[in-house]
Amino acid sequence: MFRRLLPWDYGVRNLFRRPSRSALTLGGLSIVVLLVLVVVGFIRGLEASLAATGNANVMLVYAISSGSDIENSAVPGRTPALLSASVAGVRQRHGVKYVSPELYLGTRMSIADGQQEGLGLVRGVTTTAPLVRQQVQIVEGNWPGPGEVLVGRLTHSKLGFEREALAVGQSLEFDGRKWTVSGVFAAGGAAYESEVWCPLADLQTTLKRQDLSLVAVAMETLDAAADVDLFCRERIDLELKAVSEVGYYADLQKHYKPVRMLGWVVVCLVAGSGVFAGLNTMYGAVVGRIRELATLQAIGYRRRAILLTLIQEATLLSCGGALVACALGLLFINGTAIRFTMGAFMLRVDSVGIAIACTTAIVLGVVGALPPAAKAMRLPVVEAIKAI
Amino acid sequence: MALVEVIAVSKEYQSGEEIIRPLDGVNLTIGEGEFVSLMGASGSGKSTLLNLVAGIDQVTSGRIEIAGTDITQLSRGKLADWRAAHVGYIFQTHNLIPVLTAYENVELPLMLLPMSAAERRNRVGIALAAVDLTNRADHYPRQMSGGQEQRVGIARAIVANPTIVVADEPTGSLDDNTTEQILTLLQRVNRELGMTLLMVTHDTDAASRATRQLRLERSELYENGTRLAPRALRTA
Ligand SMILES: Nc1ncnc2c1ncn2[C@@H]1O[C@H](COP(=O)(O)OP(=O)(O)OP(=O)(O)O)[C@@H](O)[C@H]1O
Ligand SMILES: [Mg+2]
Repeated sequence: MFRRLLPWDYGVRNLFRRPSRSALTLGGLSIVVLLVLVVVGFIRGLEASLAATGNANVMLVYAISSGSDIENSAVPGRTPALLSASVAGVRQRHGVKYVSPELYLGTRMSIADGQQEGLGLVRGVTTTAPLVRQQVQIVEGNWPGPGEVLVGRLTHSKLGFEREALAVGQSLEFDGRKWTVSGVFAAGGAAYESEVWCPLADLQTTLKRQDLSLVAVAMETLDAAADVDLFCRERIDLELKAVSEVGYYADLQKHYKPVRMLGWVVVCLVAGSGVFAGLNTMYGAVVGRIRELATLQAIGYRRRAILLTLIQEATLLSCGGALVACALGLLFINGTAIRFTMGAFMLRVDSVGIAIACTTAIVLGVVGALPPAAKAMRLPVVEAIKAI
Repeated sequence: MALVEVIAVSKEYQSGEEIIRPLDGVNLTIGEGEFVSLMGASGSGKSTLLNLVAGIDQVTSGRIEIAGTDITQLSRGKLADWRAAHVGYIFQTHNLIPVLTAYENVELPLMLLPMSAAERRNRVGIALAAVDLTNRADHYPRQMSGGQEQRVGIARAIVANPTIVVADEPTGSLDDNTTEQILTLLQRVNRELGMTLLMVTHDTDAASRATRQLRLERSELYENGTRLAPRALRTA
């Protein structure tokens, strides 16, 4: 099919026929696409924070009695030693076994002498913790010494503080004690990023506890990981339970399924309302041009060509809106921290979000152009040609 | 040689209970290079006949053959393609596309034909020169006078070298001077470019510029007072 289409310029110039109307529509469509981007960013961020946390080779060992809530778990302090002695296939390097004993709990944290406080998550760890949790990287400062804490890069959001309040050298109070921030860590979007990490021994002393919440073990292979589970089943007396880290967070993800569903519903509703913005403009554009479109048909342009030029106009507008929205999204929304019960995560404007936003824009353009185009073409050419 | 053959064409409109039949068994033969004017009272069916010949309306019955093609048999899409290649339409109000320049308006019909860009440029140049608007090529319709717009409309109608050019009251909304200009131009298009023209008009003076004058009365077509019969009957 050669040259049966209207010139590209025709569609483009028509957008400038009513510049203010086009600009308003562009604005409206930008907002719609931006909203889509925010909601998709929310869902993506939530998913990423849970997905990035899991590693299939890492097993979490905790008390059967705690159900699935690790915060309520208490395991004897000798469990790590027992595990490394009894289970083969624990990862090790330079003689250090990748076994991380951890004490994990939610607690009230405050800064500036109690003027600001929030509910935080603290994890007492040893130096093996970053070996097992490999996503963890110190981005600023140092590993905590006695009386010091390492904060995640989203901890301040989780607590509702300013970022500066938890900068290196600042202090933080919890469990009746003042701690100094020694460093900040990142964990590739994983849930830990909103936790506070401190030396295990310090936390145990402060809480007057000798036990642990869990033991995280990194295994060499998936089979070895299964052995950890087997060990827990065999040693009924220990009342332990093993779950792979992936499984644990997959379980948590399930809790957020309704939230994610709601997110997608919002995306659809927002996109649906965007159709009306597109429709409104295209109706306006077509109604004033009935005679012109009939003239094009009289000259010999097929209805398909006219339909395509109308779709071109509408999609140009909606793609312009997508462009504006993606630019705004990347500049202002990407990385915005969201507080959540189980931690905090960042809105993510990533390739998937942008792809969804652009697809939405294109669909808005096409769907917005169809009914007005159909209206314009329902009229016979001979009648339309006389229209004012 | 017959270029256009209108054979026993009727057109009916249903208007409530009543049936309006502006054309009732109309016959018309137009030879190549003729300039035919069509007059008649308002509402007599002139535009209807012209639009049928131009292939933008459908007959109720009868046939229309143009350069050997029975256009009443063509599908809507094929008819559009046929119009692109064979019909130049001059409207009462020029109907130029406001967002396109004079040049681009004239180029529009050529976009539908298999033709190189160089060939298009050449043809648009010739058409604009024919209507004496070479120096207005880059102007938009709103920057031109009514007469100039109509001349662009004529250039657009002739640029693809169509089989037939139809004009529905091409001077209907112009002042006397401009009307004179346009009529002279149409005559030149007929004489110098050898194009076949069918023009609807209310103006006897305009009609007299044509080589043949027809009248539409009581749904039938007359030339010099005689009703036009089918070609077969006439030659017999
Ligand atoms: N779509 C339609 N539906 C019903 N009747 C129609 C329609 N189009 C035209 N008519 C009728 O057909 C008749 C012929 O119309 P047409 O437009 O061909 O007249 P005309 O000779 O061109 O008139 P004018 O000189 O005023 O332009 C008129 O009576 C008109 O009312
Ligand atoms: Mg008419």
